[in-house]
Amino acid sequence: MEQPFLLIIASSLVIGLVGGFVMHRSDFCVTASFRDMFLFRDFFLMRQMILLVVASMALFELGRLGGIITIYPFPLLGPPSLANAIGGFLFGIGMVLAGGCVCGSLFKLGAGSVASLLAVIGMIVGATVYAEIHPQWSAFARSTVLVENAITLPQWLDLSPTTLLLPLVVLGGFWLSRQFRAGRMVRRAFAAGHLAPWQAALILALLGFISYVLIGMPLGITATYAKIGASIESLFAPGYVQSLAYFSLQPLDYTPPFADQAIRGGPGPQLDAIAAIQYPLVLGIILGALGSALWLGEWRPYWRVPPRQIMSALIGGLLLGLASRMVPSCNVWHLWGGVPILAMQSLLFLVGLLPGTWVGAQLLTRFVVR
Amino acid sequence: MHTIDIDIRGQVCPSCLLLTLREINGNSTAIRAGSADVVVVTDDRQATATIPATAERMGFCTEVERCDGAYRIRIFGSP
Repeated sequence: MEQPFLLIIASSLVIGLVGGFVMHRSDFCVTASFRDMFLFRDFFLMRQMILLVVASMALFELGRLGGIITIYPFPLLGPPSLANAIGGFLFGIGMVLAGGCVCGSLFKLGAGSVASLLAVIGMIVGATVYAEIHPQWSAFARSTVLVENAITLPQWLDLSPTTLLLPLVVLGGFWLSRQFRAGRMVRRAFAAGHLAPWQAALILALLGFISYVLIGMPLGITATYAKIGASIESLFAPGYVQSLAYFSLQPLDYTPPFADQAIRGGPGPQLDAIAAIQYPLVLGIILGALGSALWLGEWRPYWRVPPRQIMSALIGGLLLGLASRMVPSCNVWHLWGGVPILAMQSLLFLVGLLPGTWVGAQLLTRFVVR
Repeated sequence: MHTIDIDIRGQVCPSCLLLTLREINGNSTAIRAGSADVVVVTDDRQATATIPATAERMGFCTEVERCDGAYRIRIFGSP
């Protein structure tokens, strides 16, 4: 196999396996961290999420200053657009209804959750359906670009990244240390083999950093859903899939850190750079969680899911798949990757995600869990 | 003692906490008086942290034990 692909596939797989295992052991759920603020006034998991973001900020910036992070900002990010916030809003609704985000559903699926399996099927359908509206949506996204020629906040303000990131890391670190001292970062847990969420947050920040150093970008997953959908659709209507503009895009075109030639990839069904980066990561997350659950004797799928929850998981998944292509990309990419470098797309995604989660929580308590 | 059993294995997160809260709130007087308890069976690992934390904040006692690859959480009035 060609050199850059071997390193990319191997590191993605290992990162996925460790990530899936760690998320299962700590129940690290981005959806719950947002949802439970609105539903239960519970900020415990949000504090862990802030720890992950602050730790990633520090690691990415140290990596950049130390010269081991060379591609900055990382590929696939673009100028901020209203589309990012609208996509984030729909994403927030979807993740609450699905009971997990694109990444959370993967590790829950691996651990034996039937509802998460339905959510993932919904995501594949949603991401594939996006191809039908891509021409109109991408035109809207282009026409609502808020800042031309700048990807990150420091670029827009014409400042060095450190000028903005250092105060944020110092303030965040100070606040987090107070939370630790007050005992708000730990909670009594009874689950077997439990890993404290703050430890998981640090491990996940480290995995994102390793991914950035070795592959040239932090963790991303969602193009996979479109690719799988396109691959399935190709079995039945290959000509039609080829005729869709979205599936012939090649938005990824970069030279990875340990390579001497550019590699390319897109959402189409072909095995390309996106497949090399994301397929092993997705597989690793599922297998990591599966291994963890089997090890604990907790891998027991229960098929008797209430009908309302089946509908909720499918509709939530559909929304997540669609929204993750509209944003584009998911919460893991934006919150654990883009926000730490102050990518404006990611900040806008967050702006949309918060009210979306609130709406999702309202729908959940009114129509799903009764 | 009257036991209210809730089996929420396989359900979408956060059904566990929402459904448990509904039973606790609906039977709080009996639970506090010691004439009823709530027993939740769940495979949601996170619920083993959130349900006891929430119930204890409301002044109830809790016990968690593993059973058959899942967890059994008992919420009761006084030790």
